Amino acid sequence: MFRRSQRRIVIPFLLPALILTGLFFLYPLVRAGIISFEHFSRTGRTSFTGGEQYRKLVDDPSYTRALKNTFLLTFIGACMLFPPAVAVAWALHQKLYGESFFRFVVFAPAVLSTAVVALMWKFIYHPTIGLIDPALRSAGLGALARTWLGDPTTALPAIAFTVVWQGIGIWVVLLSAGFERLPVEVLEAGRVDGAGEWALFRRIMLPMLRDLMRILLVLWVVQSMQSFAFVQIMTRGGPFGSTDVVSTLMYRTAFDQADFGYAAAMGVTLLFVMLALTVIVNKVLKRDVIQY
Amino acid sequence: MSSSTETRNPPVAAARGAATRRRRSVRATGRAPFRTYHLALYLFLVCFAFSSLSAFLWVFNASLKTNREFLTTAPWSLADGWRWSNYVTAWTNASIGDFFLNSVLVSVCATVLGVAVAAFAAYPIARVEFKVNNLVLMVFLLGLMVPWMVTFIPLYMTVDDVGLLDSRLGLILVYATYNLPLNIFVLVGFMKTLPRELEESAAVDGAGPTRTFLKIILPLLGPGLASVTILSFLNNWNEFFYGLVLIHTPGKMTLPLGLFQLGQAADYGTNWVALFSGIMITSVPVLLVFAFMQRHITRGLTAGAIKG
Repeated sequence: MFRRSQRRIVIPFLLPALILTGLFFLYPLVRAGIISFEHFSRTGRTSFTGGEQYRKLVDDPSYTRALKNTFLLTFIGACMLFPPAVAVAWALHQKLYGESFFRFVVFAPAVLSTAVVALMWKFIYHPTIGLIDPALRSAGLGALARTWLGDPTTALPAIAFTVVWQGIGIWVVLLSAGFERLPVEVLEAGRVDGAGEWALFRRIMLPMLRDLMRILLVLWVVQSMQSFAFVQIMTRGGPFGSTDVVSTLMYRTAFDQADFGYAAAMGVTLLFVMLALTVIVNKVLKRDVIQY
Repeated sequence: MSSSTETRNPPVAAARGAATRRRRSVRATGRAPFRTYHLALYLFLVCFAFSSLSAFLWVFNASLKTNREFLTTAPWSLADGWRWSNYVTAWTNASIGDFFLNSVLVSVCATVLGVAVAAFAAYPIARVEFKVNNLVLMVFLLGLMVPWMVTFIPLYMTVDDVGLLDSRLGLILVYATYNLPLNIFVLVGFMKTLPRELEESAAVDGAGPTRTFLKIILPLLGPGLASVTILSFLNNWNEFFYGLVLIHTPGKMTLPLGLFQLGQAADYGTNWVALFSGIMITSVPVLLVFAFMQRHITRGLTAGAIKG
């Protein structure tokens, strides 16, 4: 009787969440597949085109360039993110003085809005009123100063750096949790056997954290291949399309050119590229479970 | 070291757990003895902290300068005086005040709605057997896996269809919906840890299921509710993309959108310091929330990212 009376609440309790999810998530999800096969004319009429949009994508130089930049951003970002994140997490694991202060400072940018961080750094990179170039010039290193966001060779790394600057705290927290979970006995055994801290880190901690790293790398790929706000705010895909990623191209296609179908096809394609990439990352880094 | 006696015991799982716990309590209170290589670590961390702090200080300093001072003096020269009037100007003339109120309205409503709806939905999923529990949970968790790029165009069209485009209500509903997956995931996890006997004894005492949920289960969820509330609020306060897509009228914009607009204007215009004051006004509330609730935030985050 208790069970039956409990079961009466199932539908009413779930209903609000199901309505919201259905209307603003599931229905759009289904619709995304349909739209990507449709052509939207400027007057708002739609017509079914089959795979036409997808065929067009393959020959579209701006899409391939955007795809290349998306990969590049993901790759450069990963190189900038993981070494320092692991180093900070390891340093914080050593129980130094001021640990909570460092934790706060490292994580603080992550709670700021991406819009705020992107704007901030857009001005920090500014060649005359910014922070970096005037500092370089006054230190006598004026030769290194450049218009970071206006130069096609430096714009993408500059954006990647900003993404990492904001997000690194999250990865440090996740890695720290991994360090905390390392079995103490194994580390102690290593110390007893005379291993230095570096050997411990290199030979014991890193191999044990491998699975966590794999998960984090996948998370990074999924997240950074979708980055939009930083690029849109800092460069809008410029200069000369050198920072144009799939998301900004999609946004322009959808809302500047009102070509919803083509933009949706880009999104669906990127989803499959992303899935393929995560599968590859998983395959490459996967290995037998280590015993300890 | 202190736990060397424990490590000699055979590595039975239970003993290991106890050892870890004891060891952790030692580590939590005591600092490691100083070693030489710690110097390098301190140096590294200090550099790191410096790069993070100097950006904030630069913005804060710039927000106190005059436009003229900002353009003519070196970026690290201190503002001559605490010119708080910049903030007043930004609040009224650059309509940061409107953006701020919109942000408060949208993020508070969306957070409350998202957490309340999630709590109700999580209860039957976690505690009542109705055959398709896991299927329902999977449907909700799908939201954590599908990238926004796939859904934002049809979402825009759907919001347009129901007549909520360019309205704060539409934004609230969308934000609440996109908070649901993580909220439900974390709350289901919390509810599963509560003992079964709670509901049974409540039923024996004659309480109906709704009453049991509101009076007994909900109060026990304190930490879980706190985590999801804070995380949802931060997300909603900072959200930029859906706002950009769904809101077009400046009077309805939230802070990130408004600042984006001001930033675009600052490319051609002159009112730099209003922008910097706006950045401060947007950032200080979340930094305060973070400073006081760091633990809740990092816990919710670890739960969501690793297990999710």
